[in-house]
Amino acid sequence: MSGQEESPIPIPSDWLEEFEAAARRPLPLRFRYAFVKTYKPVLDDAPYRAFETMEDYRRWCEECLPDWLGYGRV
Amino acid sequence: MAAFEYRQAEEIRDALARHGVRYLFIGKSGAILLGFPDTTQDADLFVEKEPANARALVEGLRELGFALTSEQSAEIERGKDFVQLKNGPFDLDLVFAPDGIERFADAWRRRVDVDGFPVCHLDDIIASKEASNRRKDNESLPRLRSFRHYWLRHRR
Repeated sequence: MSGQEESPIPIPSDWLEEFEAAARRPLPLRFRYAFVKTYKPVLDDAPYRAFETMEDYRRWCEECLPDWLGYGRV
Repeated sequence: MAAFEYRQAEEIRDALARHGVRYLFIGKSGAILLGFPDTTQDADLFVEKEPANARALVEGLRELGFALTSEQSAEIERGKDFVQLKNGPFDLDLVFAPDGIERFADAWRRRVDVDGFPVCHLDDIIASKEASNRRKDNESLPRLRSFRHYWLRHRR
């Protein structure tokens, strides 16, 4: 876990502007900007999935999902 | 399925509170509640893996409109580590054992309340993304770590 005592790292100015703009928005508006919906192949094709362990889930992602979705481990 | 809306987050908060469920928003949806400006698709809930809590969760999910079969309910109550729900009014991921967080109790102690939403501390969100080591998480981590520095200085 990251410690709160670390010395601050510089925040890129464009990111800082985005953080400050987000902080000025009320939460419902932040939600409207943040949540998007696009179809994800395979992942969105079943109404329910359950995995016994996280390792099972990670393995399923690597074996069954298209690589470009980014769910594979590095 | 349309994008997840704020009123649906409120419905989760209120329904699970009525049933006394111990859970935390985690992942990017949790970070967004903390103020992180980014995009995501689903809400992720880190749920305490205790039989009574899982039973209360199932009741809350049914109240929210998730069409759980008795077999699916039993699976959730037995405590699978990860459950994806796309059989309700919105998509929801239930994580009972997120990578990088050893015990629910520790994350619960560090939680942040945002308008009544119980949210994982940003350090826990970052730790779980670091531990999962997925490409999509690794791409978002530098910006999330920068946001952490901003958030620690400005959080109220």
